[in-house]
Amino acid sequence: MRRFEATQLVSRLAGDAPIVSNLGPTSSELWHAGHRDRNFYNYGSMGLCSSIALGMALGTDEQVISLDGDGSLLMNLGTVASIGREQPNNLTVIVWDNEKWGQTGGQTSHTGTGTDLEAVAKSCGIVHTKTVRDLEDLEAAVSDALSSANGPNFIVAKIDDVGGSTSVAPVEPEQTLYRFRNTFVEPRQPGD
Amino acid sequence: MNWAEQIIQTLKNWDTSLIVYVPDISIHQVASLIEADPYFKLVSATREEEAIGIAVGSYATGRNAAVFMQSSGFGNSINAIASLCIPARTPIPMFINLRGGLGEFNIAQVPMGRAVVPILDQLGLPHYVLEDYGNMDSLLNGAMKLCHANRQPLAICLTTSLHGGKVA
Repeated sequence: MRRFEATQLVSRLAGDAPIVSNLGPTSSELWHAGHRDRNFYNYGSMGLCSSIALGMALGTDEQVISLDGDGSLLMNLGTVASIGREQPNNLTVIVWDNEKWGQTGGQTSHTGTGTDLEAVAKSCGIVHTKTVRDLEDLEAAVSDALSSANGPNFIVAKIDDVGGSTSVAPVEPEQTLYRFRNTFVEPRQPGD
Repeated sequence: MNWAEQIIQTLKNWDTSLIVYVPDISIHQVASLIEADPYFKLVSATREEEAIGIAVGSYATGRNAAVFMQSSGFGNSINAIASLCIPARTPIPMFINLRGGLGEFNIAQVPMGRAVVPILDQLGLPHYVLEDYGNMDSLLNGAMKLCHANRQPLAICLTTSLHGGKVA
């Protein structure tokens, strides 16, 4: 399964749901899959994608999707425990797992040497978990997650060992936050 | 109102209802009030950089958020502040229990505690150190107003002379 095709699938299934994407090609591919105001592209802060998504899920009743990566989530496994503790029923975490740090030379990550992120999620109290290896199973898992209010959902999507499939997206953090937030609140006025 | 109740009231004045924290014995005096108040949602993070991420996510959906942490934990949160809050312009008030000052008993708390304010200066972030209870109401409300006007994090540092601190 190639990440860009998987991203296009998730983007199509998401409807109007907010999507938070991990830094690097995950964000660029989400932009190319279909830029929209409710995409929150991370530009730095590796490890915080699913933490940001958790905060969003606690701030809104709408479904929230995190597009995380194995290397990034391994940097902040504690946030899986926080998701298990808070049990937000409107959060779906999808981990693009290529078992590598793709941006730093393709070094083998801990999921390539035996760490099972789905098992981590289960042990943190996340009941609805799945590991998928093709687009068909990913579509079923994401559709199930988004159509129910019994999250949190945690989907490990094993992806091919290929680099980014698109050019770097022209995203800018301040604009990302501003336009994303304005889909939830009235834009700020001078003097506010 | 005591110092902890002043903080609670200020958070309410600024519609800040999601509070993310990593436990600390002095912050506990505020966190226990927050936990007992249905106005607030108190979220326990495993680490301070995670707390920053959760707060930014909440703010992004229109729910104002604040973070409580100890000075040692501020050290854990620096890259999240520098690479997320500042570039994305998110007004996250950070209440930092400042260890390493008067009455400190733990040598390991001193270097990071003393480095908090210089690091905030390097990041260009406003900060206020609360040494006593006087004028706290206007200072806290002014800090929150500045935080939202500037759309950047701002630190309110709590000290032993304010809250009594931790006794070894």
